[in-house]
Amino acid sequence: MGGELGSTERELLRAGARYAVGLRALMSAVAGMVSIALETTAAPVLTVFVVIGLVAWTVYYAHQFPRRGRLLVPLDVTIVCAVCLTQLWTVPTGSAHGITWVIAVIGITVIAYAWQLSLVAHAAATLTVMAAFLVGAMIADSPGWLDVLPLQLWTVVEGGLSRALYLLVRRGARDADRAVARSEQARRDAAVAEARRADEREYLAALHDTASATLLMVGSGVTGRRTEWLSAQAARDLDAISGDHASPAGEVDLVAHLRDVARHLPLTVHWDAPGFVTVPAADAVALAGGVREALTNVVRHAGVGEARVHVRRDDDSVVVEVADEGTGFDPARVNGHRYGVTRSIVERLTRAGGSAEVISRPGNGTRVRLTRPFAISTDTAGDVETIKSGVDTALRWSVVVMNLIILFGLDLPRLVANQEHYSSLATQVLTLVVLTAVTLVVAWHLWRKRPLGLLRWPLVAVVFVISALCTEAVPPGLRLGLAHWSEGDAAWTLLLLVLDYRVAVMAVLLAAHYAMTFTQTALGGDAAITVAEAVNATVVVFSYQLAVGVVTVVLRPVAITAAAVTYREERLRTERAVAEQVHRDRTERYAALADSTAPLLAALASGEADPGDPVFRRACAVEAGRVRRLLAEDTSVPDQLSHELRACVELAERNGITVHFAERGERPQVPKSVRRALTDPAVAALATAASTARVTVVGAADEVTVSVVADAPAELVPMNSDPAIKVTAADNGGKLWIKTTWRRT
Amino acid sequence: MINVVVVDDHPVVVAGVRAWCADADPPIQVVASGPTVATAWVGPGAEADVVVLDLQLDMTGPAYGELKRLVDAGRTVVVSTMRDDQETALTCLDIGAFTYLTKAEGESHLVAAIHAAARHEPYTPPALAGALGTDTNPNRPRLSEQEVNVLREWFHCESKKSVADALNITVNTVNTYLTRVRAKYASAGRAAPTKAALVARALQDGLVTIDEL
Repeated sequence: MGGELGSTERELLRAGARYAVGLRALMSAVAGMVSIALETTAAPVLTVFVVIGLVAWTVYYAHQFPRRGRLLVPLDVTIVCAVCLTQLWTVPTGSAHGITWVIAVIGITVIAYAWQLSLVAHAAATLTVMAAFLVGAMIADSPGWLDVLPLQLWTVVEGGLSRALYLLVRRGARDADRAVARSEQARRDAAVAEARRADEREYLAALHDTASATLLMVGSGVTGRRTEWLSAQAARDLDAISGDHASPAGEVDLVAHLRDVARHLPLTVHWDAPGFVTVPAADAVALAGGVREALTNVVRHAGVGEARVHVRRDDDSVVVEVADEGTGFDPARVNGHRYGVTRSIVERLTRAGGSAEVISRPGNGTRVRLTRPFAISTDTAGDVETIKSGVDTALRWSVVVMNLIILFGLDLPRLVANQEHYSSLATQVLTLVVLTAVTLVVAWHLWRKRPLGLLRWPLVAVVFVISALCTEAVPPGLRLGLAHWSEGDAAWTLLLLVLDYRVAVMAVLLAAHYAMTFTQTALGGDAAITVAEAVNATVVVFSYQLAVGVVTVVLRPVAITAAAVTYREERLRTERAVAEQVHRDRTERYAALADSTAPLLAALASGEADPGDPVFRRACAVEAGRVRRLLAEDTSVPDQLSHELRACVELAERNGITVHFAERGERPQVPKSVRRALTDPAVAALATAASTARVTVVGAADEVTVSVVADAPAELVPMNSDPAIKVTAADNGGKLWIKTTWRRT
Repeated sequence: MINVVVVDDHPVVVAGVRAWCADADPPIQVVASGPTVATAWVGPGAEADVVVLDLQLDMTGPAYGELKRLVDAGRTVVVSTMRDDQETALTCLDIGAFTYLTKAEGESHLVAAIHAAARHEPYTPPALAGALGTDTNPNRPRLSEQEVNVLREWFHCESKKSVADALNITVNTVNTYLTRVRAKYASAGRAAPTKAALVARALQDGLVTIDEL
């Protein structure tokens, strides 16, 4: 089949195969037992043995299939063929309808095979069984068997239709898997991004408290000699900046994330939360979205400038509550868009597998409570819907197609062949037309992706009425016989109308339809066939209808299982993606420090370096500036170059340096690596200036220049290897002037 | 003796300006000072040769309107402001300020700017040079590449000697470029008496020709 199966497809195939063999065992048993009880055959004892043997085998097969699978199929085909060959003894002679228990068994067998065998094997098995049936029928040679043969050969078509149903539903499952995968991608990206931000925050905070502080201390001469505690501190710092031991991958601190969200709103937020609450990144994203909307609502509607956020974690869920003491509103009477956002919080959280509750009264403030359970089953409501609707649509299309094939491939020939027997041919034709029309109406709604809505029940009534009229137009003696084509097949149209409805309703309607037809027949007097034949005929059609109907039953658990499996797999994949990405980020961040910061800390840790040595002190000061620049890196700031330089200017000013910073002209976007090279001399000069520094930035269409003039030591002029960057150094009246220009190529 | 009036709402700044002017050579006398522009319109301030104007007199934003009225009355205005950005600098020049300098430049450039203003000679401090050297507005004068280089280097290093060294020219040439650029800007945009005086002076000194303007 190529490629890896999605979880929905996998679950569907598994459930489908299980269900198909089970249905076959049940239906074979019903047809066989009714025949034993009601019909007389040439060899009654043999018939009992054959029927019981076959039913036993079918049950065994149904039980063993999930384990042994295809190994059993050749034996199964052989056994069914053998049963076909016993028709001389096991089937009553001269059936007017042609529907014997054997043909009923064959029918359900080839229908079930669609879910168990490959296309070729299915075709081969169907043809083999049909050939055996023909041979058996020929041996039996009961009167008029050739007349009913075409009807019996229709079984082959049923096998084909079953195959089509299988393929369509499977395709629906595959589409659903793709849709889920697409939304998973989005969720995963959000989770990874959030985890990266969280990790970065944590890393920068650690950097600020460790390496940065130590370097600044040494750089500014606070600690002028080797001490044990300085060495120990440097060793710890080194460990902190190189270590890969932040929070476990894929988990983030929800509280920090929520604070981050609240920080951007013009609102005073009082927090009632533990220091941190660790949740999967995906959950943090969902909850933060809800909190953002709730807080935005406070800003927009509550008429107060403050709100309270309460975070609590239980064993099985995390609860976030946003409360304000504003104007409030009556949730029951929300209309239009005023509190539409509140409603969207509920929808969003439900979609994400959680729940949200809005408690408010006019004049009494508003509380929005968001709950996110950790249990898997409820986390997947959105996926369940996606999967269910995908498979559902495919199923309904296949029934539309099947119904049309049955109406025109099977029923129309029967109608034409018996046209002179009907009391009203017009009614027969009208029935065919009405059933076709109803099918097309359903198809139209499917096409436009619209629900049937109010049209459903009137159409159901129409089918019942036309079916009753059609039966009336068949002479009593021919009812349930070949001429009575609408008997079982009108139910197909009925099934189509209620396929997306509750299963119980579906079963009741189908049964009611059969009951109506049988009652009409019974009231009309002698029918064309015996009770046993009627049972067999009903088994053939009804079992197939039931097969289709019950697919919708198995669909729901399949969708839920599939969604749960998907969720578990997604979680694993997300965790892996987060771990990989975070590790890459950390490696990259460490690389930025490995060549410069790490050696200084290492020298301090080993006691090799003398903190009193002016050259070493200067190196530490420069490095502290670089780390400060790293801390200022913030992708949310529009002008990073300026932001980072200002951070370093601020640091220098705090150390008592008079700094003049000015920028002119519009600049092109500067890539990160270039930004570092551009600002390096300025960062170093600011860190080592004795008293004053002038930092200027000039931008032009394709060029950026960062210039620094400072009373700083001349050995600061950096080595430059990038051809796109030009560094010039000069003496500016006793001061060092370094100019770095990057030209965009 | 050059007379100036200082309009600034910050007493420390006024005191600083007074101190610089007292040490100036040729001497500069601060005849009046005050927190509002009225100081420059009535009393001894009304007769001062040069107005030193702080743009940020209250919370209502830059005092462009006040600047315009002073310029239209033929006054020579040196704008001295905390607003260190291109737009402010260029707007002040457009309105007809004699020159623009940031408060950070006060100590090294204010006295020189007042001297130049009294002689109607252009004066371009680094903050203004940076604004002119990166101006991309098509409605403003077109500058030659070397003029732009001089302006930008001057903005970067604040030393004409260093600019001359960096560009391999003499300090005199640096001055010529700066003057020429200032004259070009004075001949553009809305008309103002100070602008006309600047242009006339530049033509007279042969720093620009009519064709270049």
